Amino acid sequence: MNRNLALIGASIVASTVLLFAGKLLIQGNGAQAGSRLGAGDVVGAVAPDFELKLLNAEGKTLKLSDLKGKAVLLNFWATWCEPCKVEMPWFVDLQKEYGAQGLQIVGVSMDDDAEKIVSEFSKKMGVNYPILVGTEQVAEQYGGVEGLPTSFFIDRSGKVVSREAGLISLNQIVDRIKKSLGQSTEPKPVAAKN
Amino acid sequence: MTKIVGFLVLSAVLMCGSLQGQNQSTAQNRVEFEPVGTVAVKPGKTTPVVFTFHVKPGFHINSNKPSTEELIPTQLRFSPPQDLVIAKVQYPAGQLTSFPFDPSEKLSVYSGDVAIKAVVMAQSHAGTGTYTVHGEFMYQACDNNACYPPKKLPVDFNVSVASASHGSTRPRPNKQSPHIH
Repeated sequence: MNRNLALIGASIVASTVLLFAGKLLIQGNGAQAGSRLGAGDVVGAVAPDFELKLLNAEGKTLKLSDLKGKAVLLNFWATWCEPCKVEMPWFVDLQKEYGAQGLQIVGVSMDDDAEKIVSEFSKKMGVNYPILVGTEQVAEQYGGVEGLPTSFFIDRSGKVVSREAGLISLNQIVDRIKKSLGQSTEPKPVAAKN
Repeated sequence: MTKIVGFLVLSAVLMCGSLQGQNQSTAQNRVEFEPVGTVAVKPGKTTPVVFTFHVKPGFHINSNKPSTEELIPTQLRFSPPQDLVIAKVQYPAGQLTSFPFDPSEKLSVYSGDVAIKAVVMAQSHAGTGTYTVHGEFMYQACDNNACYPPKKLPVDFNVSVASASHGSTRPRPNKQSPHIH
């Protein structure tokens, strides 16, 4: 009788543990180095490393880890995404403005089998940062990117500072870039007149 | 006792899997198809049919003729059995609409209810009986801030071919349409 009760108790505990383990799996464990982001809060999590094909580079690839030491704005987009096209000119300007300070913008195209179209489109937009050919696997690594644009702001140590699903304002993008660069986002105080 | 323990553990595992599945099914259907009743047609004749799709509030889909070539058009396609023809698919005109993400640009979109007309024709030698037609509604949806991957919605309906005046005794070889790949 006691043995049966102990077995029932043990199985209830095991079931509960399995349930919580499943819940953690869903939310994602931000502390794990580079495997997969969850769908929930990812601030502070290590951005998963990946290797993707570079567009127009004759088979060359780019790894996220190649950019260690830089602040990275990782932008998932597609040519069929109108809001994505609004922010691309901003990214071109921001790469020029903050590139010397250590910012690297990276576009991940989620178009299906459309490298020629993506290439032509990127040229038309004057894109001055690398465009990678995205995969479902990498989208899954980043918590399942569904809505586009989705951007991850990653600091110099490779940790996620912010995840933004959908289009946000230019000011908000600049704010997040500064955070990922380790710069203050407080407005500069006006010098007192003597 | 072993069975009880096994059942409890299995239930927990299944619940974890279900939770995971629910979380991953953020790929929600932003468009729903209103099922069509059985369409009756006689051999050698045509019958009009209307396919109605509901775009959920807050979302829009590109029209059949979107504003730029990069945008993915809405399309309705069928693979009917060889005795049937689905023809004259007529899409409604898109609504030219601008959105908060770019007020300067107007996009040709559908929102709310979308009615697409077509005509079902049974070949003159079509055998009597009920055929199932398989189709796909292809669309790409956006809301005011983001766009979602292109999707294909199954559109299946039945066609009942009644006997012609001079009845056909030819047996119908295959009631089902091939699956669209």
